[in-house]
Amino acid sequence: MKHREPPKLPCKIETEQDKLSNLPAHVIDQILSQLPVKDAVRTSILSRKWRYKWATIPHLVFDNLCISVSSQDQILVRNKLVNVVDHVLLLHNGPIFKFKLSHQDLLGVTDIDRWILHISRSSIKEFVLEIWKGQRYKVPSSLFCCRELIHLELFNCLLKPPTTFKGFRNLKSLDLQHITLAQNVFEKLISSCPMLERLTLMNFDGFSHLNIDAPNLQFFDIGGVFDDVSFENTFNLALVSIGLYVNVKKDQTLVLGSSSKLLRFFVHLPHIRRLEIQSYFLKYLAIGNVPSRLPRPCADLNYLSVRINFNDPKESLAALCLLRSCPNLQELEMLARPEETCTGTLTDFWIGDHWSSMFPQLRVVKIAGISGIRSELDFINFLLSNSPVLERVTVKPVSVDGGWDLMKELLRFRRASTRAEVIYSDP
Amino acid sequence: MSELNMAVIKPEEVISHVTASYRCSFSSHVLIVECFVLEEGWGRVLEMMKSYIWIETADGSLQQVEQEVAMFCPFICHEVIQKGMGSSKNHAISLPQRVNPAMLSLMLDYCRFHQVPGHSNKERKSFDEKFIRMDTKRLCELTSAADSLQLKPLVDLTSRALARIIEGKTPEEIREIFHLPDDLTEEEKLEPLKNITDDPRIRLLNRLYAKKRKELKERERIKNVEAEEERVDDRSVDDLLSFINGEDSKGIKTSKNRKKNRRKKDQLKNTSPSEVIEINEQESNGLKGSDLGETSEKQDVTDEMFASKPEFDDGDVDDEIDPALKEKIDREVEDFARRLNSDWPERMQEILSLGQDMKALHHSSNGNGTIRKYTDPEQK
Repeated sequence: MKHREPPKLPCKIETEQDKLSNLPAHVIDQILSQLPVKDAVRTSILSRKWRYKWATIPHLVFDNLCISVSSQDQILVRNKLVNVVDHVLLLHNGPIFKFKLSHQDLLGVTDIDRWILHISRSSIKEFVLEIWKGQRYKVPSSLFCCRELIHLELFNCLLKPPTTFKGFRNLKSLDLQHITLAQNVFEKLISSCPMLERLTLMNFDGFSHLNIDAPNLQFFDIGGVFDDVSFENTFNLALVSIGLYVNVKKDQTLVLGSSSKLLRFFVHLPHIRRLEIQSYFLKYLAIGNVPSRLPRPCADLNYLSVRINFNDPKESLAALCLLRSCPNLQELEMLARPEETCTGTLTDFWIGDHWSSMFPQLRVVKIAGISGIRSELDFINFLLSNSPVLERVTVKPVSVDGGWDLMKELLRFRRASTRAEVIYSDP
Repeated sequence: MSELNMAVIKPEEVISHVTASYRCSFSSHVLIVECFVLEEGWGRVLEMMKSYIWIETADGSLQQVEQEVAMFCPFICHEVIQKGMGSSKNHAISLPQRVNPAMLSLMLDYCRFHQVPGHSNKERKSFDEKFIRMDTKRLCELTSAADSLQLKPLVDLTSRALARIIEGKTPEEIREIFHLPDDLTEEEKLEPLKNITDDPRIRLLNRLYAKKRKELKERERIKNVEAEEERVDDRSVDDLLSFINGEDSKGIKTSKNRKKNRRKKDQLKNTSPSEVIEINEQESNGLKGSDLGETSEKQDVTDEMFASKPEFDDGDVDDEIDPALKEKIDREVEDFARRLNSDWPERMQEILSLGQDMKALHHSSNGNGTIRKYTDPEQK
């Protein structure tokens, strides 16, 4: 081992062989962006040319992979993480377009405030922050100054923008989960982001009336507890998935009079293509006078998934209305809600010939979680006899009990489509 | 010819236009094509007859390439549509320098597969996986070539493959794979390591680096004309590390003192003699106990652990040494201070003699050893 190696003179053979270092800067940025931050920063000791190549990578991701810690001490781990992020941010040189911070040992700390301030100065486009532990992290006001934001994703945060906040005018995708914000803040946020195309809301609190006013919105996914939902100006909305996690209050069904929630819901969704009605949302839609069919059919709807209690007459009415209003439906999924206590059995609802040729395009059906009660079987029968191009029906009961009886019934049903397969799937 | 200036042209139309305009310089294909155009409509041209365009690579070699395949590359597409090139040997599209014939044929294979709309995503993925199985040199060349022809999907594919190669490897391995020159100077390598794992060894190593760095600065300052004596250290990395690990506590002991004196150390010029001695004491302790190791050793150690750009001067940061160790250090420091104060004259002798021995390392031109080294010339 030599004591001191003089720097090697770059000999011709080596420079010819080294094809990597001379790639254009944006290509190297692209390569390094796909490495974990740890590996990207390590390239700084590869050779002279590589000392600062990592410093311009536009994507910085700090998650569980980037810090490998052997210690069990929480504080030690946290300090290490803070150290690492501080140093990387300080040595980084150039715009940061994507920043993600999601480490399981991170508590809501003032360090994050500092980092967000730093990032807000560098035209960030995608920002993801996930706080795994602790209380809701109050997002600092510097985040609301990021004018170039295109994608914002927050987990376990509290949003309280300053009064001067005018919205993210470039924001296309918003993903808020386990967050708290006030009603007016929510509405202002949605309406002041004119380019918004995707909205995801899960487990929120602080607001309960969802008024969605977003002309460019195409994708809407929501799951939580709310009182009502209404759309305004959402003519581009194509994919909607809504889950109401609690049962509607008993009094709501009576007090709210005769205005049908179902009607209101669909009024501003003329071009809807995929609809998922989850948890108790069908109960919500069933409030009011359910029409026999929607005034304007959902001509573009080709996928429908509904969670339903087959014993509830109102829900069945709502489902029927829906099924009658989508002539181009190709794929249907009906999921039985399991925990409901049967308030009474609904019989003879789906029996009848007056709804023939209702499903001219229906090809695939999936029915799951059923227990073999009469109304469920009637429904399957109803489907089979009204779908001329049906190709496959998959039936999956909730338990093995009564599975044999179920199968016996299924065998008997007449099928309108000669190509229909009825597949019994084990629970 | 004027039709080529239209802003939006479908490839099929281009072919037809091009063939129509350059009929003279084309082979007999053109006449057949024209007949088809007249009789069966524009859209049919592509189905009936493949047309070719001329491409010239940087080394001067010409080849004919199916037009629809080549047009998958935005660069070629641009050349054909905007400039009307590629119709004949004389008007061949000349590719940028980074594209050699081998790379061109690879890229055309890629284009040939992907421009067909019928393949499923799965098929495309498995094609991609097989496609990038090549040695890293070619992979780099391909990336470069794809980038110069603006073929973004291929650039994404190759850069992802390169990232996968780099990921998780040690710097040595990466240098070997990509033939990178190992040309960082000793100083640059001595940047403090990012102590991500909070390893006490790394902390101490950073301190040693700091010491060595300072030493190097001194060497520059003094600027001896004679050649330095090369000192070969045969000890392995393990030896070095086992020392650091704490058999010899003296290395650790210096930490506390070092912290206190850090600022003063940096302004060596203004140190008073007693402080100088103390500093020197630490130096010599450190030096006595360990050799500061060799560059290559350090390099190995560096390569083993996390290495990165300069972060911080380790001594200045609160070290989060665990409390037990901290106590031990404190106790030893006190002991040492006591001993120092009582044994002063003997210590002086020791230092002086040490200075003589270490002359080679410090290569001080002064005969008196190390003390003089830290004295500001102005103070003399």
